Amino acid sequence: MLKVKSGDLDKLGLLYERHKKRLFGFFYNLGNNPSISEDLVQNVFERMLKYKESFTGEGSFPAWMFRMARNVNYDYHKKAMKENISKGISPEDVRSGVDDLLNEKIEIDGNSVLLKRALDKLPKEKKELLILSKYRDLRFGEIGEIVGCTEGAAKVRVHRALKDLRTIFLQLEIR
Amino acid sequence: MDKEKFELQCIDYMTGAMSWEDSEEFKGFLDRNIEYQTQFDELVDTWKMITELEIPESSAKMDDTFFNMLNKEVQKTTKKGGWSLFLEGLAGIFKPQLTYGVLLLGLGLVIGYYMNSSANTNTIEVTASNEETDNVRQKLILTLLEQPSANQRLQGVSEANKVGDVDEMVVKALLQTLNNDSNVNVRLAAIESLTNYVNDPLVRQGLVQSIPNQESPILQITLANLMVALQEKASIEPFKQLLKEKQLDTTVKKKIENSIESII
Repeated sequence: MLKVKSGDLDKLGLLYERHKKRLFGFFYNLGNNPSISEDLVQNVFERMLKYKESFTGEGSFPAWMFRMARNVNYDYHKKAMKENISKGISPEDVRSGVDDLLNEKIEIDGNSVLLKRALDKLPKEKKELLILSKYRDLRFGEIGEIVGCTEGAAKVRVHRALKDLRTIFLQLEIR
Repeated sequence: MDKEKFELQCIDYMTGAMSWEDSEEFKGFLDRNIEYQTQFDELVDTWKMITELEIPESSAKMDDTFFNMLNKEVQKTTKKGGWSLFLEGLAGIFKPQLTYGVLLLGLGLVIGYYMNSSANTNTIEVTASNEETDNVRQKLILTLLEQPSANQRLQGVSEANKVGDVDEMVVKALLQTLNNDSNVNVRLAAIESLTNYVNDPLVRQGLVQSIPNQESPILQITLANLMVALQEKASIEPFKQLLKEKQLDTTVKKKIENSIESII
């Protein structure tokens, strides 16, 4: 990223290849549909170019990137709320309809649909935290950096978010 | 073990961030405490679900739009090179100087403004002191005109030229000099000085009255010229009187005759 900052914009292509999947997954798991997630990934990289001067090289690049991604997601939803766009039909809603027709798939997908619903019921911050912690190569120190707390606090928060998620998940399963 | 520590260790153990000894110890602790063991199992269960959350493949369209955007950006920056880069560099170098320059200019303007406004308040004082110097100068003129030395009397007359507004006393003194002074140069200078105040009727009258008193040709001619310039009709009579005098210079005579004609 420091090379991009100093003017070697081609290097952004490398960064894109390296991180696009994670970013896409991040937006997708946050409940955006695939095409919106793609747009948001695009937005993140546009912002990187625009604010490349703000990258000092002190913190890690993924932390910087995800911080930006969080803001992009936040801005998008704020704007969407304002414009009263349909709040994004979440992918599982669409698929659950389709799944009804494919009976054998229900068993396999059942849990994951439930899990997504449970995730949606979690407060936004906890959801974000869980999705971030899912990436093995993102250390808890970095997660703390992204959400603005210490490493220890990030771990405790993840633990509690997991617990909450389980509670919600079990409730949904009983129903 | 308190709750927070357990939570921390769970996460560390689960994500494999624990050292070997610590993890062994934690494992032992879980084996010994069934309730913690179930808690941990639940946690791992949920964690596993989270990590197995599926993500669809992003479309090739995303890559296309990204690389299009990047190419545009790269082109923009390369186009920007050359002049604009040079100018930017120049601006970067001179930025502090420019700021200081503008700052100094502003400071100068402010100081100038204040100094100017304070000068305004002083105008009354200035006019007062001007009046004072005028008074002193007029007294000086009167004193100098009474001096026996022609040089000093000349100086007095030239002082009179420097005064903006002379009072009646000075005018009278100058007229007296014009009529009675023994030195021709002093009388000439007095005429010159009096020409500054020809709008004053007293001065005009005095000049006209002094015509018959003049004996020096140069003074007579100067007065004649002055009267022509002023178109002073009252001067005709004194000139005619002067013409009657027998010892009058012929050149002066002609000059006066011409003057009378041009005044009429």
